[in-house]
Amino acid sequence: MEEQLKIDFEKKLKDFSYSEQEKKFKQTNFKEFLKQGFPNRKLENWKFSDLNQIIKSNIGELTFYNDYKKENQIDKIELINDLEHNKLIIIDGKIEKIDFKFEEKDKIEVLVEQGEETIKENINSLINLNNAFSNKFCKVIIKKNYSLIKPLVIYHSTNKNTQSKNTNLRIDFKLEENACLRLIDIFKDNSEKNFLNIYYNFELDKSSILKNYKIDKSMNNNVKYSYNNVKQQANSISETFILSSGSKFLKNEINCDLQGQHSSAFVNGIFDLDEENHHEIKSNINHLVENTKSYQLVKSVLEKKSKAVYQGKIFVSSEAQKTDGYQLSNAILLSENSEFNAKPELEIYADDVKCSHGSSSGSLDENSIFYLMSRGLNYKEAKKLLINGFLLDVIEKITDEEIKNLIKNLLGIKE
Amino acid sequence: MLKINNLSAKIDNKSILQDFKLEINPGEVHAIMGPNGSGKSTLSNILSGKKGYDVTGEVLFENNDLFSLETEERAHKGIFLAFQYPLEIPGVNTNVFLKTSLNAIKKARGEKELDAIQFLKLVKEKAKELKFDEEKLGRQLNVGFSGGEKKKNEILQMSILNPKLSILDETDSGLDIDALKTVADGVNALRKKNNSFLIITHYQRLLEYIKPDFVHVLMNGKIIKSGGPELALELEKKGYENIN
Repeated sequence: MEEQLKIDFEKKLKDFSYSEQEKKFKQTNFKEFLKQGFPNRKLENWKFSDLNQIIKSNIGELTFYNDYKKENQIDKIELINDLEHNKLIIIDGKIEKIDFKFEEKDKIEVLVEQGEETIKENINSLINLNNAFSNKFCKVIIKKNYSLIKPLVIYHSTNKNTQSKNTNLRIDFKLEENACLRLIDIFKDNSEKNFLNIYYNFELDKSSILKNYKIDKSMNNNVKYSYNNVKQQANSISETFILSSGSKFLKNEINCDLQGQHSSAFVNGIFDLDEENHHEIKSNINHLVENTKSYQLVKSVLEKKSKAVYQGKIFVSSEAQKTDGYQLSNAILLSENSEFNAKPELEIYADDVKCSHGSSSGSLDENSIFYLMSRGLNYKEAKKLLINGFLLDVIEKITDEEIKNLIKNLLGIKE
Repeated sequence: MLKINNLSAKIDNKSILQDFKLEINPGEVHAIMGPNGSGKSTLSNILSGKKGYDVTGEVLFENNDLFSLETEERAHKGIFLAFQYPLEIPGVNTNVFLKTSLNAIKKARGEKELDAIQFLKLVKEKAKELKFDEEKLGRQLNVGFSGGEKKKNEILQMSILNPKLSILDETDSGLDIDALKTVADGVNALRKKNNSFLIITHYQRLLEYIKPDFVHVLMNGKIIKSGGPELALELEKKGYENIN
């Protein structure tokens, strides 16, 4: 892999005339990735999902170079048609279309190919890989007091002939004071056996609201990693909802730094897994000042040999008095071979806080099935009704009605 | 309508029903009374298709072999069990459940399914008859319902599904006197020439409100005595130990 990485990185550096600063940034990140490689189970964060092994067994050898000068066809992508939305279409890690047609032009600024990548935190080797290989800098700024009229949908897609390839995408978002963004990420997988690596940075200024809905529904053989880094100022709210289902492997990592008083973070998710799919949600909610709140609810329905992992961490610094932190996970295992791993972590250094966690897993209740069947429903219908009922309270946490309905439709929940 | 011949049932090799015999004709109301552990609930479970029992013998429902039918097929054919302990089903709206159930049965019978408006009209009417709080219909099925509300909900389901044979498994237990009357009114409203009932109970209290045609005493998995409504009164006086 090392040889391939070096060849592809050299090729990438030649493609564009990077400034010295950019070049240095990419080289530093590249070196760091070379040193560390893909995360494996020796790292605590990755002990339930050894990405190195997962890539080896599902993809084999990867290549890392993408030709970002090439134009990709975007008309092949099936768009959401029952929800009016702004769009950002991404193919193989390249932004092919930016369309904010529903919005006031001067309220949104999109910076492409200018500015610099400033975040230098050492998060993990995948962020290094991303910084080394992702296309040019892209930053979306929502101006003060502006709420987007329609949601922004980011379509993540690949070319048909893209295979055994790693593609990287990084987008930075800034929500200025009192701004509001509803963001939907949706995967449109046109090809198999790729490793997609997404890295988002969010800066939430005072009183801004971010709602990010990540939807991975259709079955595909790709391996994906997504990292949300959210920094929140006073009174800001971040709501993340993850529907984790279709990909062979998907790990969503959500890092929220609650830096301003009365800021709050909500992370809710559904694992709806079949076959041998293996998915993970890893959250780090960092309560750094007084009076902040976090809430997490994750529910899993696991068929066949699927595996779900939820590692939820609540960190409360010594200054963060009056923190309110909560997390809960419930799983229904529908097969003897399915697996649910939960690792709740509370790390608390303040003494006046309210934090709790809980986790449960079990099988579908046969008595409930019998009850429903005695009312004329067949086994399949009874099972579906129970599962939908089980998932409903996570879906009810979605505060946006339009998007809630979209997700209900995707899951086949009728009312 | 229902013929039970020499039904024996075991669970984990423990014999519960032995050579049980019973025949119910259209329009009849039968009460089965018996002490705890006499096999009353096993009988209702077996009739509605619950798994986990080893059975021998024969049960015919309108000349269909009941054991060849799945639980939901028995419901389609018109058998209804009012549960002793109705289950709480979180996340499932009571109205949605009722409509799904009614339409599943209608569909299986080749009848036209009800649309939302027709259904709501029906359910409102029935809820009113049973003094069932309409607001509860918009809530999750049985979640947070009191014991009495759960039992009333069973009777509401029964009156909406309009079954040919209703089995009431200790529907009276845990009911106060007002709820008991409402439940009895619900049952009596359904009493028609063709609808039959099998009422399973400990006490004769319910039978003051629902007059049975026949009363059977179940002890140790067998019917030891059958008679008219007067048998229930005799039982109440003498107790199960001294009947015979």
